[in-house]
Amino acid sequence: MCGIAGFTLSFGLSPEERRARFGHRLRSMAASLKHRGPDAQTALLLDGMALGHARLSIVDLAGGAQPIRDPATGVTIVFNGEIFNYLELRKRSRYRFRTRSDTEVILACYLERGIDCVLDFIGQFAFAIYDPRIRTLWLARDRVGILPLHYTESAEGFAFASEAKALFAGGWRTPALDARGVKQTLQLWSPVPPRTNFEGVSQLAPGSVARWSNGRFETWRYWEPDLGVEPRAGLEAAKAEEELGVLLEDAVGLRLRADVPVAAYLSGGLDSSLLCGIAQSQLGGSLTTFSVGFAEGDFDERAFQEDVAGRLATRHHSVLVTGREIGGLLPAVVRQAEQILLRSAPAPLLRLSALVRACKTKVVITGEGSDEIFLGYDLYRETRVREFWARRPDSKMRPALLRRLYPYLPMSRQGHELLQQFFAIGLEDPTSPAFSHLPRWAASGRILRFFSRSFAERTADEDPVASVLASLPAKLRGWRLQARAQYLEMQTLLAGYLLSAQGDRMLMGNSVEGRFPFLDHRLVEFAAALPERLKLRGLAEKWILKRYAARWVPKAILERKKFPYRAPIAAALTGPEAPAWTRELLSREAARKVGVFDEEKVEKLVAKLSARGGVASEADSQAVIAVATTHLLADQLLPPAPVPMHEVEAVDLEAT
Amino acid sequence: MNARARIRRFIVESFFVDVFSDEESFLRNSIIDSLGMLELVAFLEKEYGIKIADTELIPENLDSLARVCAFVERKQLAGTTAA
Repeated sequence: MCGIAGFTLSFGLSPEERRARFGHRLRSMAASLKHRGPDAQTALLLDGMALGHARLSIVDLAGGAQPIRDPATGVTIVFNGEIFNYLELRKRSRYRFRTRSDTEVILACYLERGIDCVLDFIGQFAFAIYDPRIRTLWLARDRVGILPLHYTESAEGFAFASEAKALFAGGWRTPALDARGVKQTLQLWSPVPPRTNFEGVSQLAPGSVARWSNGRFETWRYWEPDLGVEPRAGLEAAKAEEELGVLLEDAVGLRLRADVPVAAYLSGGLDSSLLCGIAQSQLGGSLTTFSVGFAEGDFDERAFQEDVAGRLATRHHSVLVTGREIGGLLPAVVRQAEQILLRSAPAPLLRLSALVRACKTKVVITGEGSDEIFLGYDLYRETRVREFWARRPDSKMRPALLRRLYPYLPMSRQGHELLQQFFAIGLEDPTSPAFSHLPRWAASGRILRFFSRSFAERTADEDPVASVLASLPAKLRGWRLQARAQYLEMQTLLAGYLLSAQGDRMLMGNSVEGRFPFLDHRLVEFAAALPERLKLRGLAEKWILKRYAARWVPKAILERKKFPYRAPIAAALTGPEAPAWTRELLSREAARKVGVFDEEKVEKLVAKLSARGGVASEADSQAVIAVATTHLLADQLLPPAPVPMHEVEAVDLEAT
Repeated sequence: MNARARIRRFIVESFFVDVFSDEESFLRNSIIDSLGMLELVAFLEKEYGIKIADTELIPENLDSLARVCAFVERKQLAGTTAA
């Protein structure tokens, strides 16, 4: 994977003038993305357009340097990602290729089909194509949002980059928090695109293309998960299982294509174990696997990881992370994520990608997406129970099913009837598009009461739930309940958090590319058209996937209770072992300086948690990580902090 | 300070909530999360010298300030009667 950046500039300047006026700016942007592409950083100044690139070489190591320019038309591309079916597309094309890279395949497809070429791509991508014939800049982002793409418009022109920090490095924006984006992230786990956590910095929504031409910016969706599709009536389980196997094995096979070795993450759960099984078989036994373990037993899955690695005979590496280390990693995590977090779970993944890199590996396949497309999350089971309950709100029996959903939460002494009250939020209207997510958003929304008076007033007219609902396609209203839940989950949690703050950013922080077989769009579309009973059978989640997985995965893993990936946090920030800087980070002074949270409430929260040695309820844990990462975002990326930067002089500059 | 004011203060201080009415459901309005309810129970036991059985952890007893106050009153009364 790589990093891309660029901006518009005035036409008709000589190469020397362009160099003098824009060279440093473009090189700074490319240099700030070096972590995404340590192998080479380049900057190209064309007439009217600046394009920068940081390269992580994976395909066509020798010939894949970017930007790539078509000599006949001058059309030029910078590309971050992978087009996994590039060999097939290349065969179909009449273009005279000069490299073996997938980047040139995009260029060829664009020249033959225009921007609709994105529909032919199986892959993960964010790219920019400048077409001088029509003086137009095209941007595109992959269907589900695996790779990031940000942009900003100003009086000087239009600029884009993989990460916001490159826009800061180019001087396009002075970093400042976006109040609405902050409020949305605190309640929804992610801002609602195009908003981000930074003022004036937008993100291209997943599955979108954009056009900048003649000073005008336009964007539209070219793909959306059509979860409302009519399920294939009468589809037999055996047939579905067979089709699933063919698709998933092909999705894994395509993702093992690379000119460097491809390894895999192994969490010890069903999804990653399954991918590792398939990959190991396709690689003929040479698979390397990587896992993270926790010193805190409640979060640890090492026994399962070692079991699977042993049975599959992979070369297995793992790293043990303590709560204290997680605290120590947090500043770097936030700097990379460029987003407020409600969980500490990204931190161990930054540590894990460092291990991958230390083992001289550049690419891993990983299991994200399976829970979204095959209805694996508890959220779907919870939604099913709540809907069942909503039909007879007075029933005592129906909500009792909730008890079966969350056996891993520490609630031994909890009154189940009390717990049920919480899940009754929004029960009166099961047709509401937000029905599935209201309990979660009510829980995360508790953090909003920590706002300082001034911040609360500033954001009084921002209702994050209303904002996300307004962003939904109109057709969603006619969809089945689970399909609506799924769509919300893919937009907010998956694209806005799991694939970005916890995914791409934590991988790229150590120059490692992640590949996501479950998010192959053919598989997403296949799963959407499966009858619901094949996915969520009663309260048995991912039913068809488990049935298929039985041929690859040990029985013990198949029968494991679902174990969500989580990491400790409250003790790392407020317990007796918390590093000294956390006191400053969570101090009244920090709260006053950043201005988002009320000083007194922050002080009381910290006092409450410290008094308990960092043992915290879910609500208090979430509050303390939200405050800490909001303050870190300001501390690490807002002035007077310097923009994260690498050597500008190392960026190769060309002007033609 | 009477019981109602004292319990209200505990909730404000522990759950960082500013405004809520005596009748509002703690759980349905996300004033207190389900684990927070256990903090509330621990507080009541300590503060009022009562013992609360698991079977008493039900919304009717605990899911609003008014219900909590009535429940504590009943428990204290029962304690006095028994003694």
